[in-house]
Amino acid sequence: MATERLQTRRWLATLFCLALLGLLALSAWQWRDGPPLSANLLQLLPNASHDALEGLATERMQVPLKHDLMLLIRHDDEREAQRLTESLAAELRGSGLFAQVRERVQPDLPAVARQLREQSLGLLSDTERQQLIEHPARFVQQRVERLYDPFAASPLPLEQDWFGIAGLALQQLPQLGTLRTGGDGRLIAEHAGQRWAVVHARAQGDAFDERLPQQVATLVETARSAVETAGGELLAAGGVLHAAHGQRSARAEASLIGSLSLGATLLLLLWLFRTPRILLAALPVLVGALAGAAACVALFGQMHVLTLVLGASLIGVSLDFPLHYLSKSWTLQPWHGRRALRLILPGLALALLTNLIGYLALAFTPFPALTQVAVFSAAGLLGAFLCTTCLLPLLFNGRLQPWPRPLGWAQRWLQLRQALLARIGSPWLLAVFGLFCLGGVLQLSFEDDLRQWVSRAPVLQQQAERIGTITGFRPTSQYLLVRAADAGALLERQAELSRRLSDLQAEQRLGGHLALSQLVAPTAEQTRLRAALAQLLAASQPLAALGAATNNLHAEIERLQAQPPVTIEAALAGPLGEPWRALWLGAQNDGVAGLISLQGLRDGAALEHIAEDVPGTTLVDQPARLNQLFAATKLQAGELKLLASLLIFALLCFPFGPGGALRCLAVPLLAALASLASLGWLGQPLTLFGLFGLLLVTAIGVDYAILMREQVGGAAVSLVGTLLAATTTWLSFGLLAVSSTPAVSNFGLTVSLGLAFSFFLAPWAIHQQDTPAQAGRPYGAA
Amino acid sequence: MTPLFKKWLAAAVLLMVTSVAMAQPFDLPQLAEQLSGPAVVRGDFIQEKHLRALPQPLTSHGQFALSREHGLLWLLQQPIRQDYRITPQGIARRSENGWQAVDPQGGSARQNQLFLAVLSGDTKALQRDFQLELSGAATAWRLQLTPRGALLKQIFADIEIQGGETVTQIELHETQGDRTLIRLLDSQTGVALTASEQRDLGD
Repeated sequence: MATERLQTRRWLATLFCLALLGLLALSAWQWRDGPPLSANLLQLLPNASHDALEGLATERMQVPLKHDLMLLIRHDDEREAQRLTESLAAELRGSGLFAQVRERVQPDLPAVARQLREQSLGLLSDTERQQLIEHPARFVQQRVERLYDPFAASPLPLEQDWFGIAGLALQQLPQLGTLRTGGDGRLIAEHAGQRWAVVHARAQGDAFDERLPQQVATLVETARSAVETAGGELLAAGGVLHAAHGQRSARAEASLIGSLSLGATLLLLLWLFRTPRILLAALPVLVGALAGAAACVALFGQMHVLTLVLGASLIGVSLDFPLHYLSKSWTLQPWHGRRALRLILPGLALALLTNLIGYLALAFTPFPALTQVAVFSAAGLLGAFLCTTCLLPLLFNGRLQPWPRPLGWAQRWLQLRQALLARIGSPWLLAVFGLFCLGGVLQLSFEDDLRQWVSRAPVLQQQAERIGTITGFRPTSQYLLVRAADAGALLERQAELSRRLSDLQAEQRLGGHLALSQLVAPTAEQTRLRAALAQLLAASQPLAALGAATNNLHAEIERLQAQPPVTIEAALAGPLGEPWRALWLGAQNDGVAGLISLQGLRDGAALEHIAEDVPGTTLVDQPARLNQLFAATKLQAGELKLLASLLIFALLCFPFGPGGALRCLAVPLLAALASLASLGWLGQPLTLFGLFGLLLVTAIGVDYAILMREQVGGAAVSLVGTLLAATTTWLSFGLLAVSSTPAVSNFGLTVSLGLAFSFFLAPWAIHQQDTPAQAGRPYGAA
Repeated sequence: MTPLFKKWLAAAVLLMVTSVAMAQPFDLPQLAEQLSGPAVVRGDFIQEKHLRALPQPLTSHGQFALSREHGLLWLLQQPIRQDYRITPQGIARRSENGWQAVDPQGGSARQNQLFLAVLSGDTKALQRDFQLELSGAATAWRLQLTPRGALLKQIFADIEIQGGETVTQIELHETQGDRTLIRLLDSQTGVALTASEQRDLGD
């Protein structure tokens, strides 16, 4: 029978090795084009809307956020500034990373003139249209005044625009920001007496893929040092730079956390087991990490850097399996790898299942970020478990003699605990614990903000701020989505919204906005205007007095009357329509849709009323929606925790019965409560990530209770194993607390606090009346 | 080369240098200094807009006051009354409700900056956008501005400024064929703005 079992083991190990080879091959194939890592935060956010149109609109509005790079250059010497700008633009163009690089605009004036001539009636603004229809005489009088005005620029010569309608149409088009073009077409922004040259670039392809952000960041840094060497100043802002920063810091953190926790753990093992062979215990960790990454890439196409950082903490958890197993060598002597495994396998399997329940619960949240972490971790744990059970007994089959001291310490600690319990009863301790929890939880604040998901980059933020101040460009992620039955109704709705937004602008609550109605008037209005042209001709005497021939005036009015109504598409197709092009979503299933984009929003609440008052309007406010979702998910997290606990309870009922299961489960639940309370006492907020961390506390912490209760090799040795497991887990989760991403750091803190309490509470899982299955039995008596 | 030939060449070069120096006694920095000298210049103006489409030029006149520090007041009186103010912040028109900014960002912003630069002799600002050619002497000079960039070339063919102690005439040739002639008459230099000018330029 023993040989048969040995055969099975060998067979299992061979199978495992084959699977491992397969995994290695799969990983190599997945990484063939470099690491499949993504830093796109937007990917991690739940798709807040189930509306396809909103999805399309959001995608449109995110293009500049994701792809645009804005660079500002200043130098006291005008010519030097120009030279630096030109060489920077050439550098960017030469890199091939950008679809478009603009440091100057060459407006096609003939094309502008053509559009104005053909579409002037449609492009005329609201106010001017009213003036023309209601007070034609005053309209003509103002035309005459503009002719005398030495400063009025006119895009068309008088003979092509007798009534000045085209000139007015151009003048009334809103411009966002303070960017202007110099005489030679160079983009310029002036602020506080300083003149900045502007370079605007749009990155090609996916701004968040693995290599692009780093390459762009390097280009910008090279340019910065060149400009600074020349005595100038360079400012840069863009989502792509944030992505580069996120990638860099995540990679640095993942490797720091990974190497520190792995290194410290290995040193600890060497110190305790005194044999270099013990380093093989790290094998399950490596297999686990490989399996996690492969599963993530296979399922999601790529792995997010945030998953990488959080995944680094899995090192500590997946080490628990070999540690629980190897720690049994303190009492199970002489050491026999396979027999030890047989004894610990039920506990280990239970631990794996509870961990899986905890991690998989994360997968059911609406946050793709957590789903990824869940998949990574579940696959990782499975890999580590299989490696521990299939391979370790073969690798550690010989003599294993750990340093005996820690066992003595554990025994003393358990005696001390007994003595303490004998003096002060459990109810009293529980009361103190309850008070601690109550006091802490009362001080707890819940806080969630998208900004916590982003690694802090104050330098980048400062530069973006300054660029916003200098150029007046302050893009927001809020916008209005307007739907209507047809284009005319859409433009009317947008016009109404635009009026309300202008009021907000006047009150300084909004920096600016772009609406399609600013570019083109509703068809009905254009018809009214066309009908009023006859009155204009009747009032044209002042123009005739200047020497304008009456037949010329007649001809112009006839020409204008013959113009077909200007459609949105036609207006957008011309050079003047460029800034509005992204706002038109065109025909949809049930009508048409268009957007209104906002700049420099200071008061989001005011927008809600506006959106509610105009039918067909939706305010799409991603940050607010996410924060709502964060709040809604809190409740879900609670439900998931309950569900996970019930599942774990049901699972534990099999080996321990309902009473024992409840005892085991109480340990991590109380630990989670204590972790919450500690956050309150420490003045730390609970974030959504922290809340999900508590899910993990239940799953991982219950391991300690299970292994303490199983007591393979005795209570003291179980405590040593648990201490070892807990220490390595703390090492990794505790290190997460140093992350520069606030959400990650809060997650690390919450989990490591919870696990610390789980460890301290674990001995309570041993029930005094229970006769533990293997306690006190001589080794091998099973 | 014979020594005689050498001597003759040296004399010729010397002569050339001297004549060039004498023909160009007045340069751009000097012009800038001269124009930015007085704190205030005020006077009358006559503006003629020669538009291809009209048989007669549009003629208007009024008064102006240019302050080195604050900007320009351009008070049109005939045939219509209309007051303009140009400051580095932009251009404004007087209405019943006081000064109102005109088209702060649009196409005329560039033109008004240009106008201010021309009158105050800000040659540095002008050189950004134009090729400058100065001729004449301090008492009677002529400055020719040819646009450098493609954008300005689409608007202006060239601009010609004449003056002595102050600017006396500005002529703008637009690419599309129209022409504006502004004559500044009886310019007086002063040291301070009057109270009402200060009020108009101040707020």
